[in-house]
Amino acid sequence: MTNPVSQIEARSLLNEASRISKKAHNAVRWPYITFLLLLGVVTSFGSFAMAMTEGSDFGLAYAITLIAFFIVMMVFLISTKGKLAFAWSKRWSIYIASWTVVYLGAIMVVAFAHGSLVLASVTSGLVLLLNTTFAIIEMKR
Amino acid sequence: MTIVEKTHPRHQLNELLLNPIRFSLVASLDKAEKLSFSEVRDIIEVSDSVMSKQVSALEQVNILLVQKIFVGKYPKTMLSLTKEGRSAWQEHLAALKTIAG
Repeated sequence: MTNPVSQIEARSLLNEASRISKKAHNAVRWPYITFLLLLGVVTSFGSFAMAMTEGSDFGLAYAITLIAFFIVMMVFLISTKGKLAFAWSKRWSIYIASWTVVYLGAIMVVAFAHGSLVLASVTSGLVLLLNTTFAIIEMKR
Repeated sequence: MTIVEKTHPRHQLNELLLNPIRFSLVASLDKAEKLSFSEVRDIIEVSDSVMSKQVSALEQVNILLVQKIFVGKYPKTMLSLTKEGRSAWQEHLAALKTIAG
């Protein structure tokens, strides 16, 4: 059997595989990366604002967070309609599960340690840090 | 008759993936993970009929997973690599890297 692929062809095929793989990934990943970043920003700042405010200011922070959250969700659902690039993948399940856990922590601070600057900063900061890290991981893939 | 051990990396190449369309099709699903039929078709720039033929060939050998879903009222064909397909693709790339030096 002669070699079906020469050294030069092998290099060319590897370059082509890398190019197509990146092209496909680029075509679908940006709505997901934007979603991760916006979700982090909205829920982080929202939970921090809710933890540090009272009365009508709390109501305003709560309403703005809720509206912003729904806008982020709607934009994400519309922009990814029909594209299921990362749906149900193990990696994305881990992202969403991790965000849920740290966000619940931030909400616990709002409910049980209201006004604690340290706890609110740590938990809300963690939400932002985590989602930004996930977004960077996706950008670098 | 002498039995010669096949050590050259060309023996590790997956013959199915030497086809340029199938090669591009699998490459497009490597990082993106799950794409619709039309998305892959546009990325690798082939016609529907050529794409269908290669999708069937890869599905038959369990490299490609083909799923029919509904987005609203409209049916959509989703493509992803199976575990075996991903493994075959990695072995093929590894053999190419060895040949490339």
